[in-house]
Amino acid sequence: MSETSLPDELREPMARAVRLEYWNIFWTLTIIVTMGLVLGQSQTMKTAWIEDTLGLVPPVMFLIAAHMERHAHRSRRFPFGFERVNGLGFFVAAVALTAVGALLLYNALIALGAAEHASVGSIVILGQDIWLGWLMIAAQIYSLIPPLFIGRKELPLAQALNDKLLHTDALMNKANWLTGAAGLAGIIGLGLGWWWADSVAAAIISLDVLNDGIKALRSSTAELVDGAPRALSSTDLSEDAQSLCDRLKAEFPGATIRLRETGRLIRAEVHDTHPPAQCRHPRYYWPEGEDKAWRLAQVSFIPPVEGKRGN
Amino acid sequence: MRGVIVLAMLLLAACDMLPRDPAGTSNRIAHKRTFTVALADPAIDAAPEVQRLVHEIERRTGAKAHWRSGAGEGLFQQLDDGTLDLVIGRFLAESPWAMDVAFGPPLSKTGTKAAPLELKAAMRNGENRWIMTVERASRAISQEAREE
Repeated sequence: MSETSLPDELREPMARAVRLEYWNIFWTLTIIVTMGLVLGQSQTMKTAWIEDTLGLVPPVMFLIAAHMERHAHRSRRFPFGFERVNGLGFFVAAVALTAVGALLLYNALIALGAAEHASVGSIVILGQDIWLGWLMIAAQIYSLIPPLFIGRKELPLAQALNDKLLHTDALMNKANWLTGAAGLAGIIGLGLGWWWADSVAAAIISLDVLNDGIKALRSSTAELVDGAPRALSSTDLSEDAQSLCDRLKAEFPGATIRLRETGRLIRAEVHDTHPPAQCRHPRYYWPEGEDKAWRLAQVSFIPPVEGKRGN
Repeated sequence: MRGVIVLAMLLLAACDMLPRDPAGTSNRIAHKRTFTVALADPAIDAAPEVQRLVHEIERRTGAKAHWRSGAGEGLFQQLDDGTLDLVIGRFLAESPWAMDVAFGPPLSKTGTKAAPLELKAAMRNGENRWIMTVERASRAISQEAREE
């Protein structure tokens, strides 16, 4: 185990993930500027623009957490290092997504209820009057492309690093075409004279943001309150952790096993049993070969209280 | 090559298809060959841009302007109701009505630096084809509007 919070095996994939996230931020900024230039009065465009801006939160939180994990050393004030900064970043990203998703949905429903008709006028380009909606459609199509490629590249790195923040971002990027399609439909619908299409598309996009936020919130709070380790892509219990639990139960029959997650690492407590006679590294107990054994950072033994079993 | 030309023709045709008006203002004007217009302030009747704008819209739509009387906020309500198609007046550059009606580009500017007034047309919100027609006409008759 290194002096920082990051296991040595993860240095190379982490460096690749950091580079990718800088590219992610760069491409997201180009999308924000492109969309911002053609926003107009459209509710769909405003919602899609805010969604794109929110897309900066996960990579920025990931980079902050990665910097702490890679460079900040354990100290007297932080004896466990900064392995939970990633979990904190995940929580912050989840709160931002949920709050903004709810606000956007509220705005879209209010606009729909008030039967607001969005005005989208024209601008002059090279002496030609162009309907701004065409530029909105072009901006929406452009906004679909970078996230598709970035999401594809993020996914294997997120799995290698067991990084929920990166994984959530990868899934959001991969699913971006859905919200992009809703945005396109909204603008084309508006052009066809269906005033409601704009607000309905905005509501669909905001529902997607809210759904991402709630899923991330459930998973991140589970970690912060020492819940059992959760799977990368859902709020279900992690299969790795379940296998580890079975392995420890087989090794220490009758013991109570408690697992929790600190960032990408798992810490295990084996209650009501004495530690084995020989000295073993925690990785010894990892059930599925060596490739992800770095995840098990600690195995503690809590012997039974004399004259009493159970805890 | 032929496919590219066909695609380009289709795209050009599509360009002209959109936008349409939710309440069908442009279709009604084309069908009835008349549109309604009012001045927010009767004093601006003397401004040459007003008549030039109305004539340009008449030329582009092939419809005759039907002048209505009225003043102030009541005209915006008539725009919103669809009983009036166009209101021309001097409005603040940062008008508090900007979300309630659609303003065209300014035909001329007066007033102070702190509170500039713009002579411009206001249309019903969301009637995007009609809004575009008025915007095009405004740019055709005013250098100020073209530079906006």
